Amino acid sequence: MTLDIRGLSKFYGTFQALNEIDLSVGDSEFVCLLGPSGCGKTTLLRVIAGLESFETGEMMLGGRDLATIGARDRGFGIVFQSYSLFPQMTAAQNIGYGLKLRQRPRAEISARVEELLALVRLEQFADRLPWQLSGGQQQRVAIARALAVQPALLLLDEPLSALDARVRAGLRTEIRQMQKRLGIPTIMVTHDQEEALTMADRVVCMSAGRIEQIGSPAEIYARPATRFVADFVGSSTLLSAARAAGFGVTPPPGQGDSLFALRPEDVLIREDAAAAGRVRSITFLGNVSRVEVDWQGETILAETHRLPGFGEGASVDLSLQPGAGVWVQP
Amino acid sequence: MSAAGKRVARGLDTPFEERLFQRVVLLVPLAGLALFFLYPLAIVIWRSLLQRDGAVGFGNYREILALDHLWRVVWNSMVMSGLTALICVSLGLVIAYAMSRSRIPLRWLVSLALILPLLAPSLVQALGLIFMFGRNGLLNYLTGMQMQIYGLPGLVIANSMYALPQAVMILAVALRYADRRQYDAALVLGASPWRRFVDITLPSLRFGLLSAGFVCFTVTITDFGNAAVIGGNYRVLASEIYAQVVGQMNFNMGAVVGILLLIPTLLAFYLEKVAAQRGGTQEGAIPVEPDRWAPRDIPLWAASYLTALFLIAIVAVVIFASFVQLWPYKMSLTLKNYNITTHGGYDPLWTSLYASLITATFGTLMLFALVLAQRKMSRGPARLVYLLAIIPVGVPGLVLGLSYVLSFNVKPVFPGILYGSALLIAFCNFYHYHSQGFLTMVTGVRNVPRQLEETVTTIGGGVWANLRDAIIPIMVPTLISVFFFLFMRGMVTLSAVIFLITPKLSVGAVSVMRLDQAGSSTQAAAFSVLIMLTVLAAMGLMRLLLLAQARYNGRPGKGEIAA
Repeated sequence: MTLDIRGLSKFYGTFQALNEIDLSVGDSEFVCLLGPSGCGKTTLLRVIAGLESFETGEMMLGGRDLATIGARDRGFGIVFQSYSLFPQMTAAQNIGYGLKLRQRPRAEISARVEELLALVRLEQFADRLPWQLSGGQQQRVAIARALAVQPALLLLDEPLSALDARVRAGLRTEIRQMQKRLGIPTIMVTHDQEEALTMADRVVCMSAGRIEQIGSPAEIYARPATRFVADFVGSSTLLSAARAAGFGVTPPPGQGDSLFALRPEDVLIREDAAAAGRVRSITFLGNVSRVEVDWQGETILAETHRLPGFGEGASVDLSLQPGAGVWVQP
Repeated sequence: MSAAGKRVARGLDTPFEERLFQRVVLLVPLAGLALFFLYPLAIVIWRSLLQRDGAVGFGNYREILALDHLWRVVWNSMVMSGLTALICVSLGLVIAYAMSRSRIPLRWLVSLALILPLLAPSLVQALGLIFMFGRNGLLNYLTGMQMQIYGLPGLVIANSMYALPQAVMILAVALRYADRRQYDAALVLGASPWRRFVDITLPSLRFGLLSAGFVCFTVTITDFGNAAVIGGNYRVLASEIYAQVVGQMNFNMGAVVGILLLIPTLLAFYLEKVAAQRGGTQEGAIPVEPDRWAPRDIPLWAASYLTALFLIAIVAVVIFASFVQLWPYKMSLTLKNYNITTHGGYDPLWTSLYASLITATFGTLMLFALVLAQRKMSRGPARLVYLLAIIPVGVPGLVLGLSYVLSFNVKPVFPGILYGSALLIAFCNFYHYHSQGFLTMVTGVRNVPRQLEETVTTIGGGVWANLRDAIIPIMVPTLISVFFFLFMRGMVTLSAVIFLITPKLSVGAVSVMRLDQAGSSTQAAAFSVLIMLTVLAAMGLMRLLLLAQARYNGRPGKGEIAA
C-alpha cells in the first residue's frame, strides 16, 4: 500500500503550518522528515496519523481517502519521543495492548507478544513495569507495541531523541533492520541529519512548512537543490556567482542568481606564502580538521586530514576537487 | 496561494460516542455550577436590591450603610482579620522555615500539630481556648489567674490557629522552589547567612508571603464558628449577617451584608491571583538542603515547638473536657458526655457523614468530568471554564449558605423540594470547596501525557479505552485526594450549612455550636472529639490508599491535598 499526499495544507488560524505538501511513501519504504524545529515535520506526521486535521489537498492510502477516516480506524502504529508506555502495565501487557483492544483470543495475543519481545530482544523483561526499564528498553517496548497490530504504516516521532548517544546509535541500526525485515512503510521525524542520512531510503527536507527537497540520502547530500538544504544538511560555503568565478566556475545559463554550494571536503588547501587566502581558525575534530580561510572577503570552509601542517594566520592557496560544488536556488 | 471560501478541517473523524462523551462531561458539571452556584448567587444580588417597599434599587444598601454600628462591625472585621493574617504569616514563616531549611528534631510533632486544625470545625479552637483560658478555664482553676479571652483576643487567637496550617503550607511550598545554586553563588561571594536570607530567601518569598496573608485574611473574615463561640460582644461581619437573617429574619438586609462580604474576599482573591501569576517558579531548580546553624535554629525551633504545643494543648483540653463530669467543679472522669440526647443526639453526625460522602462522590465525579472536558477544549473556552470553576473560592461560605436559603427555601416544587434535605447540604459543601478541588484535579490531569492518549487512539482505542488505560490509572492519586479533601471539608464546615439546617435536619458542626450555646460545653467537646475521630479516620484511610497505590505502581504518589 502506498501513502499519497497531494497539495496538502494546514492552517492554525492565519498561520500556515503546512504549505502544499506533495509526498508519497511506497511499500516497505523508510522515509525521514528532516528539518529544524518549527519546520512542520511533526505537524505533518500528526496529520498523517489523524491526530491533526488538514484543510486543503488530499491524502490517500492504497486508494482509501484518509480525510474521512479517523486516527482510531487508520490502523497505524505510532512511537513518540517520550516512550508513552502505560505505567501500570508490564512490558508484555503494553505490547499486547492493541491486540487486547481488538479482542483477539488470549493465546494469539501471548504468542504474538512472545514473538515481538524476541524481535526487540526483551524476552527476559516481559514482566517488568516501565519504570523498571532503561530508556532504550522502554522505547523498544513502544516500538513493539506499535508493531503488534501489524500497522499499515509505522510513524516514528523523534523516537531516538531522548536517548543517550551510544544507545541511540545502537537502536538506529536495530530499527532500520527491523523495518527492512518486516517491510512496513515507515515515516520518521527527526532533526538529526546524521540519523536521517543513515536510516532513510528517502529524506524529505522541510523548512517553514514546505518541502525543500526529496531525495535519497546521497542525493540530498551531494546535490542539494536549495540554499536551505545545502546549509542544513552537512556544512557548505555558499558563494555568489561573482565570487565563484574566482574558482573558475560559472552558473548554468539563465540562473545568474544561483548560489554555489561548496562542501569543505571538496576544497583543497595548500600552504603558499604568496597566496591570497589566510587561515582564520583551525578546529581539530579527530579524523579531520576544519579550517576557516579568509579568501577574497569570504570565509571558506575547508577540511584536512588530521592536523594540518600550518597554523592560524598562515597564507594558503585554495583549489577545488574536480566536479566539486553544486548550484542551488538562493 | 488562494484561500478562497471557508477552510474546512478534514481528516479528524471524531466518532459519535466521543462527541457525545465530550458534550456530557462539559454540560453536566456546567449545569451543576449554574444551578447550585450561579443561580443562588444571582438571587442574593437580586434580593439585596429588592427594597422593603417592593421597588428595586439601592435602598437596602443606603439603609445599611447609614447604620452607625455597621461601620464599627466592618472595622472590627478588618482589625480582627488583619491581626490574624499578620500573626499567621510571621509565625507561618518561622515554622515553614524551620521545617524546610533546618534539621528540626521531632518534625513529626510539628506536622501533627498543624494537621489538628484541619480535623475539626473551626469553632473547636474557640471551644478549647475557653476551656483553657475562659472564666471557668483550666488556667483559672489551677492558678487563679483571670484572663479576658472573649472578644478580640480570643477571636484572633482562635482564627490564627485555624488559618496557621494554610499559611505554613503556602510558605513551605514557596521555600521548596528555591534554587540551591543561588545560595552557593552567594556563599562563594562571601555573603553572611543573614545577607543570604535578606537577599535571596525573602525576595523569593514575596509572593508566597502575600498569598499566605490574603488566604489567612479571607478565610477568617468570613469565618462564622469562632465568632459565634468566642466573639462575645465583639461583632464582626459574619455574626452580623447571621443576626440579620436568623435573628431578625431580615433576608434582604442579610443579602446586602453578604454582598459587602464578597468585596474584601473577591479583592483579596484577585490580588492573590495576580501575585501568583507573577511569582513564576523555575524549572529544574536544585532544592536547598536543610542545614544546621545554632544561632538561627534555636529561636526558630523554640517558636515552632511552642506553637505546636499550644495547638496540641488546645485540642487536648477539648478531649479532656469531653470526659469531665462537671467542668470545672467536678473534674472526675466519665463517659456520660458522650450520651448526647438533646439537639437530635447523634443524628446530625450521621447526616454529616452521609452528606459528606455524597459531597465527595458527586464532587469528585463532577470535577473529573469538568477537567476532562476542559482538556479537549481550545484555549479561549478552556480559560472561561477555568475561571468559572475557581470563582466559588471568592464566595464566603456564609454568603453561599444564605444564597441557598434564598434560592431553595421557596414554594415551587423544584427547586424547593431540595430544601431541608441532606442532598442540598452536600451540594452546598461541594460548591463551597469547588475551586480547591478543581485546582487539584487540573494539576492531576496535567500529569496525564497527551501522547499516551494519542497512542491509545492510534492503536484503535476509543474514549472508554482512553479513560480506563491512560487517564484513570495516572489520576488515581488525584481522585483519591480530591475525594477525601471534599469529604473532610464536608465533615467540618459550618459557615455555609448553618443556614441550611432545619428543626429536623442538622449536621455535626452545628450540633457542637448548639450544645455549647445551650451550656453543655462538655457535650460540645464530646461531639467535637467524634467529628475529629471521623475526619482522622478518613485521613488515615486516604494515606493508606495513596501508599498502597504508590506501592503498586512502584513509585511515590504525586497526589497531595489542596489546602
